[in-house]
Amino acid sequence: MIKKDSIHQYEIWTENLTKVYGKGEEALKAVSNINLRIKPGIHGFLGPNGAGKTTTLNMLIGAISITEGKAKIRNETAGTVAAKQLIGFIPQDPVFYDDMTGEEYLIYLGQLGGLQRINAKRKAQELLDSFNLFEARNRNIETYSGGEKQKIAIAAALIHEPKVLLLDEPTANLDPIGRADVIRKIKELSENMSVFVSSHILSEIEQMCEDVVMINHGEIVIFDSISNIKKRFIRNLHVLDTNMNAKFLEVLKMQNFVSKVRIDELDGKIHIIPKDLKKLRETLPHLLIEHNTTLFGFHLQERSLQDIFMEIMSEKESEKK
Amino acid sequence: MKKLSVKTIRDIRARSSAFKEKKILPVNAWLSENIFKKTDIIIKKTYRDISSLKKGLIVIPIMLVVPLLFQLIPPAIDFGLVSPHHAATVNSFSLVFPVFFWTLGIVFTIVIGTSGAPLIAEEIKTGTMLILISKPITRTRIFLGKYLAVFLLGMVLSFIAIFSIGWITVLINSGNIDHFISLIPFLTALYLYSLFILFLFTSITMALSSILKKSKTVSVVIILIIIVSFVAFQFLRTIVGGFYEDLQLYHFDLGYHLGNVFIFFMETFNAVPPSISWQNLFALLTGVYKFTNIIDPDQRIDLGGLEKTNYYLPIFSLLIWIIIAVLLLALGIYKLKKREISI
Repeated sequence: MIKKDSIHQYEIWTENLTKVYGKGEEALKAVSNINLRIKPGIHGFLGPNGAGKTTTLNMLIGAISITEGKAKIRNETAGTVAAKQLIGFIPQDPVFYDDMTGEEYLIYLGQLGGLQRINAKRKAQELLDSFNLFEARNRNIETYSGGEKQKIAIAAALIHEPKVLLLDEPTANLDPIGRADVIRKIKELSENMSVFVSSHILSEIEQMCEDVVMINHGEIVIFDSISNIKKRFIRNLHVLDTNMNAKFLEVLKMQNFVSKVRIDELDGKIHIIPKDLKKLRETLPHLLIEHNTTLFGFHLQERSLQDIFMEIMSEKESEKK
Repeated sequence: MKKLSVKTIRDIRARSSAFKEKKILPVNAWLSENIFKKTDIIIKKTYRDISSLKKGLIVIPIMLVVPLLFQLIPPAIDFGLVSPHHAATVNSFSLVFPVFFWTLGIVFTIVIGTSGAPLIAEEIKTGTMLILISKPITRTRIFLGKYLAVFLLGMVLSFIAIFSIGWITVLINSGNIDHFISLIPFLTALYLYSLFILFLFTSITMALSSILKKSKTVSVVIILIIIVSFVAFQFLRTIVGGFYEDLQLYHFDLGYHLGNVFIFFMETFNAVPPSISWQNLFALLTGVYKFTNIIDPDQRIDLGGLEKTNYYLPIFSLLIWIIIAVLLLALGIYKLKKREISI
């Protein structure tokens, strides 16, 4: 149990956060007992579509009610005006008032964020400039490209100078260039504020974040730093490729420094889990020469967050069955 | 002198210090800080969205057309009235019913309904509301901002329509400024009645917009309310009159209550002399008066007026519907506060 006063150190804190839609037999638990402890920095919120990411974010901004549990933003109860003053939010598919220009839109939201009109205008122009949208400021938003719309959505989230940025799938619907642009911008922003970014695209989270919360079926399945997760799930799996994999497999099977060895059905290469890695590395060149075998490649199998995520999800699915 | 306890002294000091630090605010400052702060920004944006010159150029002529057509019916000529001013005054009687039924009835309520219907429902459906509520502003303020924008639009439209009717009536009949001055009590009564209608229908519309998911459904419900109020109950009253009274349907007859409130303002401002020429139409279409087809063939106008049905005292009709409008306003705020908002 975390002491009450320690809540202060967290940007986002939730205790048994639960959301149930409907009642009785038709009740659907979208989020179940989520305990988030998000410290300053940039954090990923991962999960497949329908995992409960958007529901969690919507509870944090007060858009939907919390069925059970508590949520706080920097010790302010989520959904209150004080908490919303601290957050900037970008929904999954930002929608705009198409008849407003980019500048008008930002000024409007800036004023709602508590800025005087003159300050809102100044801040809007600063943001438009930093997002390379200054030239487009007097155009209606409906004329903006997808990438420009995403930028104006980020600018709108930043207009009232929040401390914590909540982003729901910010790169969805963007082309690769747009994605790279937005990711770069988010990394820049994270230098001055905390960012909590949801995505189902793991490679993007890997590029941006230090820590990650993985969620599936409304429950947290893992909550750790990316490096720790990789260490935890790394396997001592080595991949060997030669000009005669089937024959060399038999050679390896006879070696006492090999724990498991097989030919992988997908890549057709020899997958080795050694008992003694040092001895494998020392002996392998000699064995290759001895058996007149040509080496195409030998490496430690890299595991992406994607692989780990898929493995965790698959484990959880089998546990449920 | 009674000695204050240490706790009481601490309380007083704490309150005084909180007041100095503006933690405790006077009522007007509290309202400004807690209810109306940032509401003005929503009002400006919403008003800009729902008002346009094009809309005004379409709506105002539609509001004016029926009352002005009634002005083309020349009863004054047949009455052999002695002066154009007198004739114009008599003609203004003929404004009473079309203004009630058309200008401030069907057209005005439809304009309020269709302007207000999308303001909550559509913003939630399209997703712009999600951005709004993520900003540090309460849902109450968002609702009030949109509500007051519709109210403001209605105030402007009804002002232009009522005073245009007044001026055009005078121009058609006498062109005399004295005649316009004589119409001021009538026009004032009409304007106050329009504010009542505005309050009631803005509350109905905005409450429905908070409750229902689609703005089209809100518009349909509003139009149904208007049809039931101004048309359906009229048939019940005239075709099956006994049935209407036996079952005391007048309790639920909005058309009757609106007629009753209209008469309240007319009587309070002594705006229009009682006359069968308009009271019979009111009797037929609102049930406020007992209908009669006995007209003095010599005078053709019964200046004594018709007897009222008095199902309700006019002031009671006014108060009941003001209370209902307040409750609907509160319901609209409550439903928006409780509504789950997501795309």
